[in-house]
Amino acid sequence: MKKKKKIEVFSVINGLIFIIVALIILIPIWKILVDSFDLKTAYGMKLWPEKFGIEGYRMVLSNPTLSRPLLISVLTTVVGTVIALTLSTMGAYVLIQWEMPGRSFFANLLLFTMIFNGGMIPTYLVLRQFHLTNTLWVVILYPALNVYNLVLMRNFFEGIPASLYEAATLDGSTPMQTFIRIVLPMSKPALASIGLMYAVSYWNDYTHYKLYINNSDLYNFQMKLRGMIMGSDLPTAAGNATENTIKNAAIIIVIIPFMILYPFLQKYFVQGVNIGAVKE
Amino acid sequence: MSKKQSVSKQKGSGSNKPLGVRVKKYAGFYVMFLPILVFAIIFYYLPMFGVRYAFTNYNGIKAPKFVGLENFSKMFNMPGFWSAFWNTLQISVIRLILTTLVAVVVSLFLNEIINIHFKKVIQTIIYLPHFLSWVVTASLFSLILAPTGQGLVNTLLVNLGLVDANNMIYFLGSSKTWRGTFYVIQLWKETGWQTVIFMATLAGMNLELYEAASIDGAGRWGKMRYITFPALANTILTVIILNLAKVMNLFESVFVLQNDAVLDVSNVLETYIYYQSFNSGSIPNYGYTTAVGLFKSLVGMALVLICNQWSKKVREGRGIV
Repeated sequence: MKKKKKIEVFSVINGLIFIIVALIILIPIWKILVDSFDLKTAYGMKLWPEKFGIEGYRMVLSNPTLSRPLLISVLTTVVGTVIALTLSTMGAYVLIQWEMPGRSFFANLLLFTMIFNGGMIPTYLVLRQFHLTNTLWVVILYPALNVYNLVLMRNFFEGIPASLYEAATLDGSTPMQTFIRIVLPMSKPALASIGLMYAVSYWNDYTHYKLYINNSDLYNFQMKLRGMIMGSDLPTAAGNATENTIKNAAIIIVIIPFMILYPFLQKYFVQGVNIGAVKE
Repeated sequence: MSKKQSVSKQKGSGSNKPLGVRVKKYAGFYVMFLPILVFAIIFYYLPMFGVRYAFTNYNGIKAPKFVGLENFSKMFNMPGFWSAFWNTLQISVIRLILTTLVAVVVSLFLNEIINIHFKKVIQTIIYLPHFLSWVVTASLFSLILAPTGQGLVNTLLVNLGLVDANNMIYFLGSSKTWRGTFYVIQLWKETGWQTVIFMATLAGMNLELYEAASIDGAGRWGKMRYITFPALANTILTVIILNLAKVMNLFESVFVLQNDAVLDVSNVLETYIYYQSFNSGSIPNYGYTTAVGLFKSLVGMALVLICNQWSKKVREGRGIV
């Protein structure tokens, strides 16, 4: 009897600790949301807007240079994810053809890139030489071959019984047909997980824009937000919205699409980690 | 991987046929691999050959001239380089140990939550910051930590009487507080996501062990200490080895949180290369910055190979690459 009570106390304390942990995670985000609606900028410790107003959002959204970065973010994310997913699935499928002459050479060729790389400047010089810098192709194509995700995909394919596609080969379909008709439909969970990982990294990309794009017409939303926060690209404070209210509103606008989708997508992200863990 | 390969080679019946026949059989696959090969060559292998600039005075305008090891001797005599080198190692390693350690503790206690719905909600919340970009994270904290009446943390500290209102802490703008602040932000963003791998290990555990321990009279702490934690040991080591191989790559997280006032404690090799190449105010010396990058890549490669050997030793022959 005594022991049972002790466990309950532990559970309560444990639960409380995790509520505090969750609050530590959420309060910074909540604070930004609250301040984005507060027209009185002595924010301090307020966790609710004192003078509610949507002026901040109006200022950010009325900025004529804002729709373009948003469009670029969407475009590069969609195109990039499709290309990246195509490369990792096709590559992974070739790498499980255990008897293909040269297979291990190709595998090692890809794996070596995880060990050694040319570095920031030689990469920049090659991209410039190919006239990819200052075009959106650089932020779409350069991150598209992700060897780590290709290996994850290969690990997943290894779990599909070989007899399934061997039967298709006997039917006389080409490798590409087998790949599209049999392998891809069987890989939906892996495609969803790895595809989402690619989508998040394209949506969140900042480094590749910073390094390879010099033309503000080609900036994505992350670059735009960075410019606004650093103050170099802030819509002029007008009306009731102050500079900080506008900054807060800009952050919320960048994260809101993801925040809405996140609860529905979370399981696919976790699944993605476990695809890798199968091999562990 | 090599294990699997040799197994299939042995049972491979087709390997007796002449090479030409086998190559022909796989023609379709070679075509499929072609785009991947093109990407690998352009984006990975051509830059590797670009490291030859490390031995030249290339500045992007004039044709490169061979200068031998001049860039390297310049590099080893630059205080800025050494500071960036040690900063990279310190920040990376401390960050790795901190997030892993905290994630393990969080996982152990998360595992003790009985109510599944509550656990799910907590997991959803703590994974969230991982998916925010570093730009968003940096923006968020620069506002929360602002040394003004608008910053949440400073106002809180003033109200608690811990900080003088006229002398607020500029967390991200002072060399004294930058590192600590960086680690805290790092923990906020990544600890939750790090628990995923540990929770996966715990989910696959044999529950009979717990029952046996209960019969033996082990309490909650005993079980956590003698069953749950040892079960995680191998995963912890794996996580550390995998990440140790990447410690030289520190860039974006530091880059978006640093500023001129804190470069002495925050400049890492990648940001050093960036500023020297693109932000130095004079004609860039690509030869020199390529040399720094080559040094970085070589140290990184050594780390990967060491970790790979280490991994093979402790993970029953499984390497990391």
